[in-house]
Amino acid sequence: MIEMRDVSVVYSGGVDALHHVNLKINDGDFAFVVGPSGAGKSTLIKLILKEIDPSSGAIYVNGYNLNKLRRRRIPALRRTIGFVFQDFRLISSMTVYENVAFVLRVVDAPPKYIKKRVKYVIDLVGLSDKANNYPNELSGGEMQRVAIARALVNDPQLIIADEPTGNIDPEMSYEIMELLQSINEIGTTILMVTHEHSLVRHFGGRIININQGEIVFDEIVGGNLINES
Amino acid sequence: MRASGVRYLLGKGFENIWKNRMMAFASFCVLLISLLLVGLSVLVSMNISSMIGGMEDKNEVIIYLEDDTTDIEISDLYGALCRMDNVAEANFYSKEEAFEDMKASMTDAELLFDSLGEDNPLVDSYRVRVADIDRIDETIAAIETMDNIESISAPMDFVNVLIELRHILALIFAVIIAALVIISIVIIANTTKASVFARRAEIQIMKYVGATNSFIRIPFFVEGMVTGFFAGCGALAITWFGYDALVELLTGGTNVVSIFGISSIIQFEEVAIPVIVAYLAAGTFFGAIGTVFSTRKHLNV
Repeated sequence: MIEMRDVSVVYSGGVDALHHVNLKINDGDFAFVVGPSGAGKSTLIKLILKEIDPSSGAIYVNGYNLNKLRRRRIPALRRTIGFVFQDFRLISSMTVYENVAFVLRVVDAPPKYIKKRVKYVIDLVGLSDKANNYPNELSGGEMQRVAIARALVNDPQLIIADEPTGNIDPEMSYEIMELLQSINEIGTTILMVTHEHSLVRHFGGRIININQGEIVFDEIVGGNLINES
Repeated sequence: MRASGVRYLLGKGFENIWKNRMMAFASFCVLLISLLLVGLSVLVSMNISSMIGGMEDKNEVIIYLEDDTTDIEISDLYGALCRMDNVAEANFYSKEEAFEDMKASMTDAELLFDSLGEDNPLVDSYRVRVADIDRIDETIAAIETMDNIESISAPMDFVNVLIELRHILALIFAVIIAALVIISIVIIANTTKASVFARRAEIQIMKYVGATNSFIRIPFFVEGMVTGFFAGCGALAITWFGYDALVELLTGGTNVVSIFGISSIIQFEEVAIPVIVAYLAAGTFFGAIGTVFSTRKHLNV
């Protein structure tokens, strides 16, 4: 669950990135965050990950009060969140298996559990035959599926996907979206930042539109709103 | 943390050396050269000190005794001199011995000695070598208070020059070594910084998936320690073989060091243990500590 109460962010250069934002995303929601470049989408994500602190207002994420969270407790917060980057951000020196297993090693999971769980999520994203490949041996879509497996492996309450389809072809984008939807169906909250309005219209769901640091639209919209022919 | 977690982190450190072998090799070379520069400077400084020490050991204070000093008093004086902590050696030189030596050294003055007949104008003396010439003044002052002392002759000009020379060289070497240590630390820090910078994306990913700072640092730390340890081993091997070869060159055949005394050159075996410990400890320490400072900046994500 994410809750922001009257949150504002003013960067040191005086840039007003977010302006009195109120937002609540409940457990199990699938929400799209849309808006033009510089609207404040990245700032919103940085706040949720406690990469930055708000200038004013209160933020709660997965039971943590971020205003009171000490720096050394940030890893505990981030372990409840899975993150999918636009540019995949896989560790190039690690195989697919190692990239996914790494998250469980961070939380000091038992070796037997790591083996079982990693195999399960790699199967889930359909890459069991590529487990021993390195990222540079994969296509863009495959790399993003590895990134999703990595985000999913620690069974997080929330997955944040920042433009997950931005670097892959349209056909693959739909596959990635379907994968995220199936993950959402098993109860994981998904917050997806995107520029691709066609995907949003096709799949539908909660749409949060940010512009000039303010939420200008926040409603649930049904899918397949446009005739895609 | 589980044993499997510790094994994973240690293994990752070793694995990273191989995976980032070019940067690891650069760090290794920088550490090796830095250790060699500092280590060799220390050894040169120690040898120069030892050579000056060798010259200082040739100091000789001559204590002339009064003519009527009895054998018992001469013997008591020997005991008193030997009890002084700064007296390394005291040898009695009888006036007869001195007279014979004088005759032997002045063969063309036979007429003079003939005219003296059996009269010996010389006096008994003690030749004393002091251990620490920095304290030669206080030692002479203490001897002067003893009975039966006619006069004391000390090579003060020679002593003062040596003391001054030793102090100046000690200062010069302290400055050189301190400068080399600082330069080495700066170079090592920059090399590890470059090595860590190349992997900053990896560090960021680790932070996003909830890795603690120590989880990220431990493999870097192990990598730095191992690289530093091997740089220490390399520096040690080069120093050992190079030094032995140089000592062989200086002491074999030529008389380059004869003015200081061959024994003034420190044999590697004499300082082997502190040199081994210093190289390995310094290599491991600087290799590891460099990673701590270099990773810090990238951990604030």
